[in-house]
Amino acid sequence: MWTWTGVLFRRIGTLLLTALLGGILGATLVRFAPGFGVDERELDTRLHEDSIQALRRSHSEERNVLQFYASYLAGAARGHLGVSHSFGRPVTQLFAERLPVTLRTVALGLAGGWMLGLLLALPVVRLRGWSFDFFASSTSGVFLCLPTAVVAILFLYFRGPVALAICVVVFPRVFRYARNILVQTYALPHVLTASAKGLSTLRILLWHIFPVAAPQILALSGVTVSIALGAAIPIEVICDSPGIGQLAWQAALSRDLPVLVNMTLFVTLVTLTANSAADLATKAFETRPV
Amino acid sequence: MRNHRLALLAASFLLAALPATAQSGAELRFVLRSEPKTFDPMLVDDEASETIRYLTGGVLIRVNRKTQALEPELGVSWKVSEGGKKISFRVREGLSFSDGTPFTAEDVAFTMQKLMDPELHSPTGDSFRSSQGQVRVTAPDPRNVVIEFPSAVAGLERLFDQVAIVSSHSPKKEAAVLGPFAIAEYKPGSYVLLRRNSYYWKKDAQGRKLPYLDSIRLDVQQNRDLELLRFKRGEIQLINSLDASYFESLAKEAPAAVRDIGPSLDSEQIWFNQVPSSPIPNYKKKWFRSTSFRLAISEAINRGDLCRVVFSGHARPAVGPVSPANLFWFNKSLEPNPYDPQSALRRLQQDGFRFDGHVLNDPDGHSVEFSVVTNAGNKYREQMAAMIQQDLEQIGVRLNIVTLDFPSLIERISRTFDYELCLLGLVNVDLDPSAQMSVWLSSSSNHQWNPEQKTPATSWEAEIDRLMQAQASTNDQKQRKSYFDQVQKIVWDQQPFIYLVNKNALVAISPALANTSPVVLRPQTFWNIESLYLSNQGRGGDQ
Repeated sequence: MWTWTGVLFRRIGTLLLTALLGGILGATLVRFAPGFGVDERELDTRLHEDSIQALRRSHSEERNVLQFYASYLAGAARGHLGVSHSFGRPVTQLFAERLPVTLRTVALGLAGGWMLGLLLALPVVRLRGWSFDFFASSTSGVFLCLPTAVVAILFLYFRGPVALAICVVVFPRVFRYARNILVQTYALPHVLTASAKGLSTLRILLWHIFPVAAPQILALSGVTVSIALGAAIPIEVICDSPGIGQLAWQAALSRDLPVLVNMTLFVTLVTLTANSAADLATKAFETRPV
Repeated sequence: MRNHRLALLAASFLLAALPATAQSGAELRFVLRSEPKTFDPMLVDDEASETIRYLTGGVLIRVNRKTQALEPELGVSWKVSEGGKKISFRVREGLSFSDGTPFTAEDVAFTMQKLMDPELHSPTGDSFRSSQGQVRVTAPDPRNVVIEFPSAVAGLERLFDQVAIVSSHSPKKEAAVLGPFAIAEYKPGSYVLLRRNSYYWKKDAQGRKLPYLDSIRLDVQQNRDLELLRFKRGEIQLINSLDASYFESLAKEAPAAVRDIGPSLDSEQIWFNQVPSSPIPNYKKKWFRSTSFRLAISEAINRGDLCRVVFSGHARPAVGPVSPANLFWFNKSLEPNPYDPQSALRRLQQDGFRFDGHVLNDPDGHSVEFSVVTNAGNKYREQMAAMIQQDLEQIGVRLNIVTLDFPSLIERISRTFDYELCLLGLVNVDLDPSAQMSVWLSSSSNHQWNPEQKTPATSWEAEIDRLMQAQASTNDQKQRKSYFDQVQKIVWDQQPFIYLVNKNALVAISPALANTSPVVLRPQTFWNIESLYLSNQGRGGDQ
């Protein structure tokens, strides 16, 4: 027996612990990456020797990862997420400027990807003709084979919206999975009986297909959030979209520890929240009296 | 009477010529290739921020990018005295910042005091810092200001080209500017919008207020392909520092839009690691410290081919640390090292190296093989490395190419010294050799081949130290030139840096933009921003 409150608390606890561990893992990886603690400004021939030494010292407090992480968490508790080395600005400010851009494009891309994926999957099971199945499967197959960077380059050339590029990355995954689930569900005896009795398509879909397929489809929704967020990084970089994907890339190139730690925490939290929400929804469906 | 009418007609035509063709409400657009790190003119250390500073900042003295001569701006006149330790300015009267705050000598004093604070670590301020000690700035009256440095500063006046004066009183602080444009809007990651500064003091020959343009939109765009695409579509009107391949591509479609202005100040070079404590085998250190070895490698590289193949002809074989584009400081008696693999082999054989037709061995029997590191993603450097690899193969030297991202590369060349040969470029923003002081002094951390030496490792490095100090301690330009010519000659003889090419300055300018006069000095296309305007007819032209 489980209670909603207990599950919720356990989930939140796991989520926070995983995020904290993810943060320290990210910080450790960056700290030990080659080129950590060096600043290309050191090569500026105009700089006085004292300024070069000051630049070198500015990274010294980040050399001890545990110490850095402890002071970062203490700062985060007070709302200070640190200052970016490469941008010279508070991370809170950078996130506030760029997060809305990414959230908007990822949300639109996800919505589009799901809509397109389901719109292609439903007729496949409904029409049961090989031609549409072939068309939909091959189309999604082509897009599935395209690396995200190639999709981004195509959208860059044709100046397509970034959200649509994310949609193009998400939809083939949704289609493949949704198609298989729906085909299996449509073959269930109670669905065949309902169909034989002449029930309308909508009624069959809402009353007989959806309750059975929903848990698996909801589980997929959590995964697509991480797919979309992951795709946002190369797409934003290539298409010059000023979101957190572009920020993450620039921070990685300059070993900007404060930005990268926050980015790791953010991505971990979003991914885990999406997956947990999907899991809880699945559980709710599974335990729902039918 | 008729003559009088004709003269009147001609005069009115001349007066009307510019506004008739200039677009009303015209907005110039071009791209910043990175997000500006700061809008504080004192902290500028990146190209994007430098662009904003150039377009918005008012300076006392401006280096004319075309003639390379100094011109008075906010400073009507100036006098350098005490051998370069003191400079006195008389500033322009009746000017105001973009928010209407009056400009006086007090603002200059405030700017210099703030800029020279050692804790600020400003690259602009550091350029003035030749020794420890306080800088004294006094403004005896609203029109005069005197700045005294603890020791002589070489090329002192020229450095004021980078000093944008900020207001000591304006509540807007550094947002109040004295340049032709002021920041009106900034959307992080997207664009910076500059609007004409209505208080700007300059006027054209006809007495019309400058600048002609109403606004400049600078889109933050890192992708160079997109920049080119947008130029082709007419969405932007300028591209500075165009890559050779983009230049060629654009030249095919719109030959009138592209210009090759000739060799730029920037150079591409290689250098061997000569750091005694570096983690490379001792026998390799011995090769790298040998002048004959370095000269042989230099002679084995076909610079002409690098220019032709890698840069499609838009580069010149480099001679030394100063490009021929630097009209005053370039040592005209020097020539690029000739391509002569036979001479290279003779030099190596004199040093005891043996070439069996395939492999070169040192006197101890080690085959000559080393790696070159360069930054990943720079296709020109990667191509140059590949061509150098082929050239060196002819004299039996095996070269391995290693590409690293920039932080890793800097770590190798400045911290761990775990490299053998490095291929990088030097971006020169200042014409004066004092700007290269930290490269040539053996005690400096930017003395790349063997940094932070306690005492010079070689006699020729000691001589370079002496000459660089000597040129920095006098204000006699002729004497300074003589000292720096000697530095260039030593570098040419010793090849601590093996200079490869000077890339040409390549730009693209929309035909709709008028009064353009691109130059090799940065900012190449918009150095005369006040005079640029967009033509209604869609065809602008050169000055």
